[in-house]
Amino acid sequence: MAEIIEVGGLRKRFGTAMALDGMAFTVRPGLVTGLVGPNGAGKSTTMRVILGLDAPDEGRALIGGRPYASLREPLRHVGALLDAGALQPGRTARNHLLWLARSQGLPARRVDEVLDQVGMRPAARRRAGGLSLGMRQRLGIAAALLGDPPVLILDEPVNGLDPEGIVWMRRLLRSLAGEGRAVLLSSHLMRELEGTADQLVVVGRGRVIADTGVTELIAAASRGRVTLRTPEPAAAAAALGRAGAAARPDDHGALAVTGLPAERIVAALTAAAVPFSEVAAYRATLEQAYMDLTGDAVEYRGAAR
Amino acid sequence: MSDHPRAFPSKTTLYAEWTKLRTLPVTGRLLLASIALTVLTGAAASALVTCGTEACGHDPAEISLFGVQAGQSLVAVLAVLAISGEYGTGMIRLTLTAMPRRTGVLAAKAAVLTGLTLGAASVAVLGSVLATRPILLRNGFPPDPLTSGSMLRAATGSVLYLTLIALLSLGVATAVRDSATAIATVLGLLYTFPVLILLVSDDEWQRMLWRLSPMNAGLAVQSTTGLAALPLSPWQGLGVLSAWALAALLAGGLLLRKRDA
Amino acid sequence: MSGVPREFGRLLRAEWTKFRTVRGWTAAAIAAALVTVGLGLFSAAGSHSSCGTGPVEVACPPPPTAPTGEAVNDKFYFVHRTLTGDGAITVRLTSMTGRIRKPDVKPGERNLVAGVVPWAKAGVMIKESTRQGAPYAAVMMTGEHGVRMQHDFTRDVAGRHRDVSERSPLWLRLTRSGGTLTGYESADGRTWTRIGTASPAGLPRSVRIGMFATSPGDLTVTRADLGGTVAAERFTETTGEFDQVTVVGTAPGGWRHDDIGVTIGPDGAPHHPGRAVRSGGAFAVTGVGDIGPATEGMRAEAPLAGAPAGLVLVIVVAVLFVTAEYRHGLIRTTLLAAPRRGRALAAKALTAGLATFAVALPAATAAFVLGGRILRANGNAVLPVPPLTQVRVVVGIAVLFALAAVLALALGALLRRGVAAVITAIAAIVVPHIVATTSVLPESAAGWLLTVTPAAAFAVQQSVPEYPQMLGHYSPLAGFYPLPPLAGLGVLAGYAALALGLAALRLRRADA
Repeated sequence: MAEIIEVGGLRKRFGTAMALDGMAFTVRPGLVTGLVGPNGAGKSTTMRVILGLDAPDEGRALIGGRPYASLREPLRHVGALLDAGALQPGRTARNHLLWLARSQGLPARRVDEVLDQVGMRPAARRRAGGLSLGMRQRLGIAAALLGDPPVLILDEPVNGLDPEGIVWMRRLLRSLAGEGRAVLLSSHLMRELEGTADQLVVVGRGRVIADTGVTELIAAASRGRVTLRTPEPAAAAAALGRAGAAARPDDHGALAVTGLPAERIVAALTAAAVPFSEVAAYRATLEQAYMDLTGDAVEYRGAAR
Repeated sequence: MSDHPRAFPSKTTLYAEWTKLRTLPVTGRLLLASIALTVLTGAAASALVTCGTEACGHDPAEISLFGVQAGQSLVAVLAVLAISGEYGTGMIRLTLTAMPRRTGVLAAKAAVLTGLTLGAASVAVLGSVLATRPILLRNGFPPDPLTSGSMLRAATGSVLYLTLIALLSLGVATAVRDSATAIATVLGLLYTFPVLILLVSDDEWQRMLWRLSPMNAGLAVQSTTGLAALPLSPWQGLGVLSAWALAALLAGGLLLRKRDA
Repeated sequence: MSGVPREFGRLLRAEWTKFRTVRGWTAAAIAAALVTVGLGLFSAAGSHSSCGTGPVEVACPPPPTAPTGEAVNDKFYFVHRTLTGDGAITVRLTSMTGRIRKPDVKPGERNLVAGVVPWAKAGVMIKESTRQGAPYAAVMMTGEHGVRMQHDFTRDVAGRHRDVSERSPLWLRLTRSGGTLTGYESADGRTWTRIGTASPAGLPRSVRIGMFATSPGDLTVTRADLGGTVAAERFTETTGEFDQVTVVGTAPGGWRHDDIGVTIGPDGAPHHPGRAVRSGGAFAVTGVGDIGPATEGMRAEAPLAGAPAGLVLVIVVAVLFVTAEYRHGLIRTTLLAAPRRGRALAAKALTAGLATFAVALPAATAAFVLGGRILRANGNAVLPVPPLTQVRVVVGIAVLFALAAVLALALGALLRRGVAAVITAIAAIVVPHIVATTSVLPESAAGWLLTVTPAAAFAVQQSVPEYPQMLGHYSPLAGFYPLPPLAGLGVLAGYAALALGLAALRLRRADA
């Protein structure tokens, strides 16, 4: 399970638009890596380059040290889901997986196994054109799992799933990473990755803005802030100022305190006899951390909503 | 896109492409329809042509196999759909992810199509010959043994003709990707030359256009009478069509390798 | 009610914006025009002809033209005198015989048999002058079509008598009174039946009056090696024997003989000359040729050869114009913006039709005009066509393109699948025309195809009409269509309307 994805110095231009501008990151086994960024940041293009579908102008993308196109039976190395709707409507779900299996020298038995794995056995003989969006997404995952690959690349896998489907997908991705596989998934919504991703590669305008663990990212965004609720904000602020901390009202009618850990704040308030109802270490959401990070890199802020 | 471009498809790629084409419902329907259209058109043409006692100027083999000119359109549709159906839905990305050796994929498609059209065309041609024979005899055509050399050549040549039409269509469709555009390009290519030949009155130009025309030159293989007047021999004519098919496949293959999927 | 046109106008503008903003479609529409012009000019450039006089090749002389502008045949043997003012000629025709050259049985030995071809003519004529193409009127007996009165090449009226022989001779009379010529026939020279009158334009006071005979070539049509056919004419001649010839009016002097329009061979001698033999009051006049409109020759519409190829492109664009909406789900947006589905489809069809017409009209004009110039520069004698007919041909082709676009679009809306619609449209509009005009199909089948399929519309490009009084190779292979020009367009329009109606029905019934 030493297979990893290495992306280095990718550049690609579409006409006048720079789609990739020095994209570089790695994906390690046993982790779910989220590739996140606004629409048009280069996520899908990066994935297509990794899969040998698009040719970069510069740079390279390797899977286990080799370019994708040189892999024999590539689906045994990498499973990918790019666009779940990209099916020929007349073919049944099972036959769709069957030709893929044939292309990798996999037995037909494997098709039934993955159909079971994604819970699509009952719909196996239905035509792809008649499947719902959620079903197609499951079929796409089944196709990605077909070769039992150590690496999975999924472009917006929860797009169009209902809440139940989203939960299912999260569990599946976690368990796949738990088996030691490297999972790379993209999303333009940070909250979709919350609770799923271990590692985040935040991209904007074709390059990496941050490449960090989810825990570190949240900690950095929280920056030792403490939330304080008190009926006497003015007195509290004065007391905390004397103790060497700064307090500012936040958006929710509470005070955001920085400069002192929570225990020292409690001590200072008690000493000054300022009443308070809550002192809590602030934990930034992934979304906030992301917004802090991307700032000016968001090219299509309006369109991202 | 591959490090070692290989024109020959691997066995697994062939198997995958065969499975793919086999599991599309439209494949079987189109093959059956092309056989039916070929035989019926041939029978209709035979019923319409009568041969007097004098030399009637009609080539019995050409009339018997006239349905090939209609059946070829459906063979072309099948070949076009074999690749542009994937471009239309976006499934081509999945295909190229599973089989990154792109020329291998095209070669496998070509091989599978060749097999399918050879089979269907054999049935269609044999059916045409058997169905039209009694009609032609009744309409005054001289009895000619089915196994005579020229008739045999016309029949096998027609099978090869249909197969080459499939390969030409596959190449064109790979190059232009859109199914409607591809089928129009193929039909335009096939049918424009005969019109031009008629409307150009200069003999030299006519013969030059005839030699270039995939349909006129290709169908020369059906001629059993008046061979001396043709600008090319029957097999040379089929060679012209082969050149077109090869050129289309090469162009399609090059573009497939060059382009982002 | 004023809201409806305005709403429709908006729909039209929306559809036009959709159409012109897809670069591929605009490019394909322009390509259709270029293909139409390019292939047309190419075919014109590949058409050369020259006429040999001995070793020297020269441009073919233009065919004689009638006062109305059509090309005509005007070749006959004429025994005539000058008539000034009013007058008449009366003759008795006692026999009509002739010879026909059949395919040689022994090589090099002319195989002549006795016989009269159906449109051989012998009778009396008044003609402005002996110039080819000059206005005339004539009363005649024909080989198999009985007595006729014809004038100015295209007009033809049937008389009553069917046969002539020495036992039952036929009397013919042609009178001039001012600008009016009147023809009569009689079995006995006493009771006369009027056949008809004619007023040839611009008859001068002095005209030629006399007897004539002519006989058109025997037509055989054989298949050409590269598809199409070769029409061959073989020599025939006919002899009319006249007696009891009387000319009333001021017609001084004797009879003069003229072999009007005779071909001069390379050696300077006339080729297949006519003749007249006089014995006492009887004349035996022998002629070779024909009098009537010319239908054989290079057609003015020949440079429109690229139209079928351009049409294929137009069909693709028109089909994609609607199926692309289904493929990408844009149709829902369209129907949200215009919930009256029938009207939305009508706006789409009208847009496609008008845009196609706008592209096709200049293309057809350019191909017709420039191609015609190239043809003439290459020494081809293009059959002249009256200006109004030229306009009909060019505008008609543009209308054909527009209607084909509407039909293709309707098929796209009906079938919702690009390939199926393109195939159907090409199979319906383009293929029948090609099959009917180029293939081994017999003429009856070709004519049927060009009557019942949308390809009937190609009749609009036929610049030379079919004349019942002329023996000709009137088949699609020779550029003659079974339906009149507007009826042909009507067939296509009918199909387009039918498909559009069905498409509207499906659009209204089905979920988008």
